[in-house]
Amino acid sequence: MTLRKVARTGMSILKRAIGTQQAGLVFVIVLLGVLLALTAGSHLDPRTGQSVHNFYNLHTLLQTATDASFFAIMAVGATVVIISGGIDLSVGSIYALAGVTTAMVLRSVAPDSAVTVVLLATTVSLGIGLICGVLNGVMVTGLGVHPFIITLGTMWVVRGIAFVSSHAESILVPSSLTAVAKASFGMASSVYPVPLLVMLAVMAIGSVYLTRTVMGRHVFAVGGNPEASRFSGLRLNRITIGVFAISGLTAGLAALLGAAFYGSASCADATGYELYVIAAAVVGGASLSGGRGSAVSATLGALLIVLIRQSIRTMRFDQNYEWIIIGCAIILAVVLDQASSRAALRRLSADAVRR
Amino acid sequence: MREGSAGTLVPANADMPDVAVAFRGITKRFPGVLALEDVSFEIAAGSMHALCGENGAGKSTLGKILAGVHTADAGEVRLFGQPFAATRPEHALAAGVGMVHQELAFCENLSVAENLCLRALPATGPFLSRAAMYREAESLLAAIDARLDVRRRVGELTIGQQQMLQIAAAVGHGARVIVFDEPTSSLSQHEAEKLYELMARLRERGVTGIYVSHRMEEIFRLCDTVTVLRDGRHVATEPIAALDTGRIVELMIGRKLEQYFPTDHGATTGEERLRVEGLSSPAGFRDISFSVRAGEVVGMAGLVGAGRSETAAAIFGLDGRATGRIVVDGRPVVIRSPRQAMRLGIGLVPEDRKRQGLVLSMSSLANTTMAILPSLARLTFVRSAEERAIGRRFFERLRVRAHSLDATAAGLSGGNQQKLVLAKWLAARCQVLILDEPTRGVDVGAKAQIHALIAELAAEGVAVLLISSELPELLHLATRVIVLRDGRIVGEVPRVEATQDGLMRLMAGVA
Repeated sequence: MTLRKVARTGMSILKRAIGTQQAGLVFVIVLLGVLLALTAGSHLDPRTGQSVHNFYNLHTLLQTATDASFFAIMAVGATVVIISGGIDLSVGSIYALAGVTTAMVLRSVAPDSAVTVVLLATTVSLGIGLICGVLNGVMVTGLGVHPFIITLGTMWVVRGIAFVSSHAESILVPSSLTAVAKASFGMASSVYPVPLLVMLAVMAIGSVYLTRTVMGRHVFAVGGNPEASRFSGLRLNRITIGVFAISGLTAGLAALLGAAFYGSASCADATGYELYVIAAAVVGGASLSGGRGSAVSATLGALLIVLIRQSIRTMRFDQNYEWIIIGCAIILAVVLDQASSRAALRRLSADAVRR
Repeated sequence: MREGSAGTLVPANADMPDVAVAFRGITKRFPGVLALEDVSFEIAAGSMHALCGENGAGKSTLGKILAGVHTADAGEVRLFGQPFAATRPEHALAAGVGMVHQELAFCENLSVAENLCLRALPATGPFLSRAAMYREAESLLAAIDARLDVRRRVGELTIGQQQMLQIAAAVGHGARVIVFDEPTSSLSQHEAEKLYELMARLRERGVTGIYVSHRMEEIFRLCDTVTVLRDGRHVATEPIAALDTGRIVELMIGRKLEQYFPTDHGATTGEERLRVEGLSSPAGFRDISFSVRAGEVVGMAGLVGAGRSETAAAIFGLDGRATGRIVVDGRPVVIRSPRQAMRLGIGLVPEDRKRQGLVLSMSSLANTTMAILPSLARLTFVRSAEERAIGRRFFERLRVRAHSLDATAAGLSGGNQQKLVLAKWLAARCQVLILDEPTRGVDVGAKAQIHALIAELAAEGVAVLLISSELPELLHLATRVIVLRDGRIVGEVPRVEATQDGLMRLMAGVA
């Protein structure tokens, strides 16, 4: 490839990227990154004696990604629910229940081989997540109650079940499971890329699901206009149950990863995560009235929230202001997003009139 | 006064105080349609003035401009000689114009008294004074001799009672002109009688009424002057004494028939595709029976509220309370959901394309393939190339004008949006197609294309049930026309015998 060719491909990728839904988010993340690069400063590594940038070093970057990964995974599930016009407040509790159940099952069964441990853990946490999600969906469709209410209820019920069944203990998981979650793939010994990789995989699968599959398209249709979807022969109930199942499943997966990575699970895990998860989805441009959202954006939204938190720490702002700053940033992000989509709609209707 | 071709009624003395409302050159454009074009006429103070026209003639729009619901794009309204341009209903009411309409705007969760006094709730400091509120509401209701418990929730009232409430609110706030927009369309006979009495009392008190309706008996009973609109233009304003039902109908439909060519789409009608026997539903129709053969376009005429759309919805599996027999391709079937209807080869292009036909936030392509997406997928993955090929095929066939397949449906014009809904059902290869007002709010060009398409579909052997409020459209396309009135079939007219005049009489129930 000649240099010119490279430049041209680069430009076309850039152009396409600017046109997409994620452009604004990417821009803000890059801006924050530049800000961090300029202001974070550096310190001397006590072992090697080399100067290390306070933010741009492998450990801090991976730590930021790891912090984001647990709720970024759930944010993909939450985005699917939000696109369908619903909301799921119970994901944090499902995370806790899936985590403690997995830990308890592993403790009582105590399998010998590492493979069995991993398989059993995966089955139990995904299974619990799926069951909780399906129950949410069945109650929303069967009882005809708004998903906000149903999942507000199950948020407490599920957390309560986790509390009672675990006797509020923190339960350790076998080290073979931790070994998998902390695999470093031959890189430096304290580098753990697994949560990051799982997050990227979930983002990719979620994105393909939403944009390339029949079910994904149906989720957009139901969220955009349930009435027209019914008139087109879509099975609304089945679609609704499906989105809550997906949300539960992502909570189960995040719980598996969390329990494995931190080596234990307790009923107090992921308290308040549901709000981080919803925040990530809406910062990523998902519309709470349904019909709009993307898996990639939700992941970027989660990254942005963590990045803001990380910036406050790295740049040595007073950490007491963390919540205030994050809260303002969420409102600002959504306001900017709405303004830009309103402008796009105006442009569209102007086009239609001219035609 | 005489009939002018484009509303060129010359007012004798425009600013005389005995003129309550004067419209001058009113023009109103909605996206894709010209609702009103250069409409000028006057309404005498203290009169009850009927505003007639077919569905879509612009009569409601004119009423809403006066009441501040819509704003005219051009022209001037004068109220008792003063220039008047209300941009909001409350401004209109402050100037003395109230409106009674079908889409009732109340807080259904609040009481009668709360709704009547909502604008300025009587209060002592920050506290609501209930006694004063009830007194005020009662005096408002007493002013129109309406007896209602002011403590009841508005949601519990009948539509007739809610209209009383609207009138009480309007009169109570000093309305001197009241627009009645088809007030009796959802009332029982008894409730309608009460409304007539009330209107007579209002007239005695010098209130000027504008009565939007196409029900002849009501017009002759209540009104003293009649203005007829057609296709957004003023056709005539004449005293009722100079008119009879026949003449009004003639003025309403006076469009030249030659502009439509009654096509013989040359299809030999084939097997019976759909037969409906004794279909009834509390949704608003009783004992509906008819059949549609392959290659046939059966028209369905009726006024708004006659039960046409409700019948269509029941056939498409959207009315769980409907009873009766439906036979598709000779087999009796039970249709409980649109999905089952689709499996039997039935498609429905609904009346309200924005609410029922399209997902406006999705792309044009996604809307087109919405009903057939599973058939375009392999292992749930949508085969993008095939989906786009189908999209292109139907965009071409229907001449959809969008800048690309991925253009958001919300950005398309009304005509193109309607084409998307049609494309959705064409893609599903329906053998029975129910079209509910397929050309409403669609510009002339797109209308002609849709008409051509309907004829083409029939020629291909599709059985079409065409519901339309535009009689020329029915006469143009339908092989025979079924007429509904008040939820029942009142006539079935073969194409050769059908005239606009005859159909209109059947629809309105005049001899």
